[in-house]
Amino acid sequence: MIIRSSEELPRTTLLKRFPVARDFGVPEASRISRGRTWPAPPDAVRIKSFQVYRYDPDPSDGLASTPRLDTFEVDLDDCGPMALDALLWIKNKVDSTLTLRRSCREGVCGSCAMTMDGTNWLACTRFISDLSASPTIYPLASFPVIKDLVSDTTHAFAQYAVIQPWLKTRTAPPVRERLQSHEARAELDGYYECILCFCCTSGCPSHWWNGDRFLGPAVLLQAWRWLADSRDDARDERLDALEDPFRLYRCHTILNCTRTCPKQLNPGKAIAEIKKMMMERHG
Amino acid sequence: MGDKNLGAAAKPGQHRPRPRSPNMQIYRPQLTSVLSVVNRITGVILSAGAVVLVVWLVAAASGPQAYAVIQDAMASWIGQVMLLACTFAFFLHLCGGIRHLVWDTVHGFELHAIYASGWWVVAASLVLTALAWGGRAWLGS
Repeated sequence: MIIRSSEELPRTTLLKRFPVARDFGVPEASRISRGRTWPAPPDAVRIKSFQVYRYDPDPSDGLASTPRLDTFEVDLDDCGPMALDALLWIKNKVDSTLTLRRSCREGVCGSCAMTMDGTNWLACTRFISDLSASPTIYPLASFPVIKDLVSDTTHAFAQYAVIQPWLKTRTAPPVRERLQSHEARAELDGYYECILCFCCTSGCPSHWWNGDRFLGPAVLLQAWRWLADSRDDARDERLDALEDPFRLYRCHTILNCTRTCPKQLNPGKAIAEIKKMMMERHG
Repeated sequence: MGDKNLGAAAKPGQHRPRPRSPNMQIYRPQLTSVLSVVNRITGVILSAGAVVLVVWLVAAASGPQAYAVIQDAMASWIGQVMLLACTFAFFLHLCGGIRHLVWDTVHGFELHAIYASGWWVVAASLVLTALAWGGRAWLGS
């Protein structure tokens, strides 16, 4: 009932998904059809069926391509413990065309963020044993898809550029580095660790409906990271850029972001801090 | 999205429209998102309830006959169920609103606090609704 860390999985699930039709509000090009089933090797004993989102932008027959959901039977005795291991097992042993991003395989790079069993997490830090009996794996919810599990983060990174994520100072550069007290440095804890995997932004209903103008939790957490930095002199300028009905204020404190962050950060709190700072500025 | 272009081979320099990964259709309902939806829905119910309240006041001002009609409607089982639903919606929206006020002061953002306050909102709304209707029955008897 009470979730203490975003790492915790839901223990009881009344609803696996909201009671809406599968194609509710989904444009034709994004509708998902049943794909094929790839059976496990005949000698496999422990088998888990993964339902994986597939989309091929350049089908060999040149015909229209729409997304489909393929079922892969994975031999768990031949495969590592993480969801990423299962995907790489599929890619190495079953279908080499399965496309995904991965790099560090230890939750540091944020490349393998995806929607597994309806929640966002990094495939490399999610145990297969923690997934459901027949897990579903989608590219980051609500993001455009380049191919299979590779989502198009162009827009998300363009929004990141909007907040100008770099130190802005008015004073002359010091001889050595710009110093910060231990206390001022501690203000950045819980914010500087963000790896920009966009799990939170992809899980935010406000960003689903208004993602074109609402910056989303990941970018707003970064905005706070610079607002909270004692070395930064551009507070007013940064707040001016955020003072907008959409950019900041489309956040309705739903807090799916804080629930899903694979680094256990708190984008919801960061956004509340920005709103409070905005209020205090007006006096 | 320009769905119709999807079948045509992409010309050089022209992007084929990309599909979008599903969101609401697959994302797991959580206390966080469900209570947000509930806050919206109860807001809508209360707006509708406010119209009913105005109708009731107008009827009361129009004279005993009109007032008797609306009182009968309210006393019917449909009227009673609607009133009960409105009471529950009122308390859910009120408690949810207080939760949001606390958040605006940047308190209660630890994940366990988010969940605890969420369940408190549900429990408090149930108790307050029971108290309101219990008190009404007690006063009426």
